[in-house]
Amino acid sequence: MTTTTLPLQDRPTETARSRVDSAFGMAIFIGAWSMAFATMFLAYMILRQRQPIWPPDDVVLPSLAVAIGGTLVLLASSFVVHRAVGLARAGRAGFARHWNVALALGLIFAALQTWLWADLWSAGRFAHTGMYETLFYGLTWFHAAHVACGLIALGWVSVGIARKRYGHSSLSVPVNVAVFWHFVDVVWVVLFVTFFLT
Amino acid sequence: MTLSHSHSVRSFLGPVRAVIATVIAAASLAPGALAQDATRWGPKESASSFGWRFDDLFMLIVILTGVSFLIMMVMLLVPVFRDKARAGHKASFDHGRSLHDKRFTAIVSVIVFIVLDAWVLVVAMRDLDEGFWNVPGPGEAPNAVRVQVLAQQWAWNFRQPGVDNKFGTPDDILTLNELVVPASAEAEGNEDWFAGRPVVLNLSSKDVIHSLFLPEMRVKRDANPGAINRMWFTPIRPGDYAILCAELCGFAHYQMHGKLRVLSPADFDAWEAEASAMALAAYDENDAGAQWAWDWQE
Amino acid sequence: MSGEHKGGFLSTYVFSKDHKYIAKQFLWFGLIWLLIGGVMAMMIRWQLANPGEAFPLLGKLFFPRTGGVIDPDAYNMLFSMHGTIMIFLGLTPALIGAWGNWCIPLMIGAPDMIFPLLNTLSFWTVVIGGAVGAYSLFVPLGALEAGWTGYPTLSTTVGTPGSGETLWAIAVFIIGASSIMGGINYITTVVRLRAPGMTWGKLPLTIWGLFFTAVLNVLFLPVIGSAMLLLIFDRVYGTQFYVPATLTSGGGDPILYQHLFWIFGHPEVYILILPAWGIVSDLLSFFARKPAFGYRATVGAMLAVTVLSAVVYGHHMFTTGLSPMLGESFMLLTMIISVPGEILFFNWLHTIWKGSLRLNSAMLFSLGVIFVFGLGGLTGLFLATIATDIFLHDTYFVVGHFHLTMAASALFGAFAGIYFWVPKMYGRLMDERLGKLHFWCTIIPLTTVFCTMFVSGWSGMPRRYADPTSSPYVAELQYLNEITTIAAFILGAAQLIFAFNFIKSCFWGKKAPDNPWEVGTLDWIPAYPVPHGNFATTPTVVTGPHEFSHPALGPDRDWISQTEALPETEGKTA
Repeated sequence: MTTTTLPLQDRPTETARSRVDSAFGMAIFIGAWSMAFATMFLAYMILRQRQPIWPPDDVVLPSLAVAIGGTLVLLASSFVVHRAVGLARAGRAGFARHWNVALALGLIFAALQTWLWADLWSAGRFAHTGMYETLFYGLTWFHAAHVACGLIALGWVSVGIARKRYGHSSLSVPVNVAVFWHFVDVVWVVLFVTFFLT
Repeated sequence: MTLSHSHSVRSFLGPVRAVIATVIAAASLAPGALAQDATRWGPKESASSFGWRFDDLFMLIVILTGVSFLIMMVMLLVPVFRDKARAGHKASFDHGRSLHDKRFTAIVSVIVFIVLDAWVLVVAMRDLDEGFWNVPGPGEAPNAVRVQVLAQQWAWNFRQPGVDNKFGTPDDILTLNELVVPASAEAEGNEDWFAGRPVVLNLSSKDVIHSLFLPEMRVKRDANPGAINRMWFTPIRPGDYAILCAELCGFAHYQMHGKLRVLSPADFDAWEAEASAMALAAYDENDAGAQWAWDWQE
Repeated sequence: MSGEHKGGFLSTYVFSKDHKYIAKQFLWFGLIWLLIGGVMAMMIRWQLANPGEAFPLLGKLFFPRTGGVIDPDAYNMLFSMHGTIMIFLGLTPALIGAWGNWCIPLMIGAPDMIFPLLNTLSFWTVVIGGAVGAYSLFVPLGALEAGWTGYPTLSTTVGTPGSGETLWAIAVFIIGASSIMGGINYITTVVRLRAPGMTWGKLPLTIWGLFFTAVLNVLFLPVIGSAMLLLIFDRVYGTQFYVPATLTSGGGDPILYQHLFWIFGHPEVYILILPAWGIVSDLLSFFARKPAFGYRATVGAMLAVTVLSAVVYGHHMFTTGLSPMLGESFMLLTMIISVPGEILFFNWLHTIWKGSLRLNSAMLFSLGVIFVFGLGGLTGLFLATIATDIFLHDTYFVVGHFHLTMAASALFGAFAGIYFWVPKMYGRLMDERLGKLHFWCTIIPLTTVFCTMFVSGWSGMPRRYADPTSSPYVAELQYLNEITTIAAFILGAAQLIFAFNFIKSCFWGKKAPDNPWEVGTLDWIPAYPVPHGNFATTPTVVTGPHEFSHPALGPDRDWISQTEALPETEGKTA
């Protein structure tokens, strides 16, 4: 069978059009994932509303101080990533440094999240203990899975930066990773408000 | 002329005849089944005060949707036979976007909404408010026969309060897969929805979701673990009726059937007194499996 | 197959990024699973008509422990996996995966999907999901037994210990991820990669159907993903999302799952049916040689259904104890769907009215969709109406209804697509005689099967009974089960005609001309084999997709390509 190959655009360099394409796809992806988290929060609301007292009497609450620390670290990480992208867009120095700081802050958040779990764990509160634990572990696990994905992506970009893979006109991958990271951040803020402030 | 065109001109009735012959041949195998003693077409006759509401509404919808379907099929078959591609025949050129077409579409939509939806909706709301979902509230049916139903894999536990009319007392009548209730002939066609002795049930489940289906009473309600559901019906004729489980509940789901025994009021009173006395005599407070009564939910 | 890649064997034949090759992968993948799910359906029907008798031929192979007899456990697994397989592994790939990938770039004049790598990933993700699902059939204690809906607490460890159910939830989660990837790709491609001149008003209706499906996929597959995840947490880590603490109150809520499941589950019905509607809307116009009647109204109706699908899910839960006000609201909302539904039928029937009908296989299956969806859609009214649904809920009436709507209609849409696009996909024509035979041998037993189910459901036969003769009330309906089973086996056998025709035609069929159906959409412009990149020069669209039998075209020709301008007519009516 003889066939011809047409010149398919491989897009070695990005165009204004391809940047919009990838941003558009990313926006839909974030929309989809928002639905997944919305479902989790819906489950939370329905189950919480079924309980006579909230939080339940005998519950061991996770440490508020650690959670506030985690929130601040994650917010900072999000901000630094934003700054890193801004610098890269402008073609200014500091892209790599900012990006790596954001990655480090993300790792600190993961550590603090583990601390929260370890605290509850050592107090003998497991996922099967009660409704509070069910909701807390269930929702934070799901969020933490996204944190893990985000950290892997941040690390991947970090390696890419070191290998000079991105220039100021080929930033789609870092930009999309940054968007995902902001999303993870926003979801955490909602989680934090849900569990610690209401 | 292309290939597709010339193909379509050829009669497609050949294969139709072949298939019809096959179906008739296959159907001729069925009489063995059809000749069985007990066969039935449609649900058994309604035996509850508002069971007729299902039968009437079902027939109304059969007629409405049947007529709609016939109109559709005529509109489908006329062009199939009349407008087949053939030499010298050309389709009319019509996008259906003239004002006339838009008006026609809108009018048909309104008619469909009024005839198919609004009509059925109004009847259904009336039926729900007067029948199916009109579970008697506090004090509305003082004569009601109250039953707590605890479903489990794979049986129905029924609890009636006995002569003291209180749940959770030693004279509670516990039955398995058999529910005994009185008939209320006066409830048939009565404008007082709770005339006679309506049967009011509280349903829950020990393990998985079950669904209490009483086909002759035309009612069904899920028994959910962790919650209490309510349902009601008023039997109007003595007799034995079916109890089925309608929600998949595991291995023996299909065997989770029971019997609804509807007795005349006098027979029921006698049965209740006797069963209650027997329950009192046989009461064992250490039998943990029998201590599942809950506070009655109005 | 199509197009020479620069890469080697793997990147050409396995991990190809060419949308056309991925479409073929999806199609074959879906058809193989449809076959597996179909064999399961035959086993279900066998058991219902001959409870306790060994399944002929294959029985000893699949149920060695019982000597070929389908015991209640095996029966529960069969119908549960039948549903899951048909929906997630059969129809979704064969209809959405295959025709979404094939049609979207070709019909909108794009060189490929906008994210080819994501496309490859989407296919191989569904393969992994299918593998997990298949593996779950062979684990100790068996596969899913809680029905395809997997209601807790039966689907938690309370009702089904063992890993089969967990693997099922994982499989659904993975397949959901695949559909989301596909959805992101479809939406972005349609929005961003339309050829010059391909305005929204000139899109073929197939693309509209697939577009709305993609929107629903992206919005609601994540919901089932989360619901499945919570179920997995409950099963594996002992959380209590769906498991109540006591008999009457407290703890988790099994009804919560039903809400989450149907928030996804009802849109899923339209996810499967919208591409079929789109394909049928186009094909009826193509083979009636007439413009699609009321193009905008058809698109509007599909949009209305897409929106409404999100707010009607409660009609699956009328017997669960919904508050009356909530229940009645869902009843009203559900009934409103009949209005866009009616507009679709209205437009389809007016499209063929006074046409010039070419009754080939693709057209017959399109007309078949009108018939089966008519039956299925109208019987939906019985189930939307609470006063009748209370009796009919969880009976065979429901089984007949949803098989006609989401299964038969979607399957007919996929068949119509196969008969229509294989000439471009494989460069060969399907055998029309066998195609017509397949149609008639399908629609007659199919109607018998599901209409008999309406009767048995109305007579009070509940679903999911491993042995319907066990209860006297249901045993009286056994003759109906026997009729259904005979028809179902004829229906199953008829699909062998299709399998033979499909394989024979794809590889050894008559060579197809470039545009065998004489239609103007862009997918018929490139000659077979369509090269990687599709179009030698990007087409410029000037005409709508359905300008058939235009008066200005003269007597010899009744169609015009979307890239050709219509001849000027007096007053510019077009």
